[in-house]
Amino acid sequence: MSNWLKYFILLIIGIALGLAYGWVISPVEYTNVTPSIMRADYRADYVLMVAEAHQREQDSETSARRLAMLGSDSPAKIVEAALTYATQNGFTETEIILLQGLHTAMQTYQPQGSNAP
Amino acid sequence: MKTLLRNFLLPVFALLIGCGVGLAYSWLIAPVEYVDASPSLLRDDFKDQYRIVIAASYASSHDLARARARLELLSATDPLGELNAQAQRTVGSSESAANVQLLAQLATDLQKGIVSVPLTSTPFATKIKPTVATSSTKSIITQTPTPESIEPTSTPTAELIQTPFAILAFTLTPRPTFTAIPDSGTPFILIGQDTVCDPTIEPGLLQFTLIDSRRKQIAGIEIIITSTEGEDHLFTGFKPEVGNGYADFVMQENISYSIRVIEGGTFVNNISAPTCTDPNGKTYLGGLSLAFQQP
Repeated sequence: MSNWLKYFILLIIGIALGLAYGWVISPVEYTNVTPSIMRADYRADYVLMVAEAHQREQDSETSARRLAMLGSDSPAKIVEAALTYATQNGFTETEIILLQGLHTAMQTYQPQGSNAP
Repeated sequence: MKTLLRNFLLPVFALLIGCGVGLAYSWLIAPVEYVDASPSLLRDDFKDQYRIVIAASYASSHDLARARARLELLSATDPLGELNAQAQRTVGSSESAANVQLLAQLATDLQKGIVSVPLTSTPFATKIKPTVATSSTKSIITQTPTPESIEPTSTPTAELIQTPFAILAFTLTPRPTFTAIPDSGTPFILIGQDTVCDPTIEPGLLQFTLIDSRRKQIAGIEIIITSTEGEDHLFTGFKPEVGNGYADFVMQENISYSIRVIEGGTFVNNISAPTCTDPNGKTYLGGLSLAFQQP
């Protein structure tokens, strides 16, 4: 085997070791993450909390602002995703009703200052 | 030398370069993509927002165990401490008073381990409003003139007065049930103002105790203290170890303060730190204790 081939194989082994270390042994540690990458069950629970608060406050503006923490999707879409998760994962009927209430509110919600009629 | 270079140094060099390339790729170019994060990894400002939503949700559901479990998602070590710290921080920030009140209420309830009576009695308030009676009255009144011709005699008038009266009396009977619930609009009344001459307490300490009609201390009530020095906002309930309805403020010497309890808009003017004398005849700045109660 030529020397160059030996070096090339060693280089490949080095890359493999580096990747294994960087991806498996000591991957980049994330802190200070945004809520948009929260696990689906945490997201659904967060939306449920907003729905519970909305039931008392009936303030669509505040609810929409709270939902915006979960990403750039429209509030109605965020609630819809949570509602789908809730129906598939055994949330209670009361919780689903709360989510449906919030969903309806978000579907009709118009942000303040929008030029929509 | 050439053999050493060929057999040892160059292979090691190749391996190290490989490792470097691999690490650069895995850490910088294509790092592990984080999905399915838990709330404990959230940035601090998002955690604060999360706690407010937990408190708002608790204010609606009054499920203390669930609120506690949700707070533990954010900080498994000291969720209550974190909540109290946020509540303290928000008092001095531009955060809305409603949020501060929500946080204070949850912190107090977690500290005590019991669900307190909700401060905002919106659902009850709508029930005790006489609007129901009024609408019933109207419907009765509009129905009564059905007889074809109503002459301007005294007979129909008697009917009109009597019918709504009976309805009103009937609809308002459950009202006493609601009187015990603290109403956010009910004004507090100053029921006690005591000078505290105790050299061990902080000079000029102004202590507040707010209680409801059942003499139960109430957390989350905003108090505004105004003087020539500016305006300060306090909330009861941040020192649950003293009392849920407790709040305090340090007065300066020779400054007159005006106090306003936001709930119900109670005003107390000309409050200033008293001067006390110790047994040796030496004077020092004393404190005041004010007690407010909802009638």
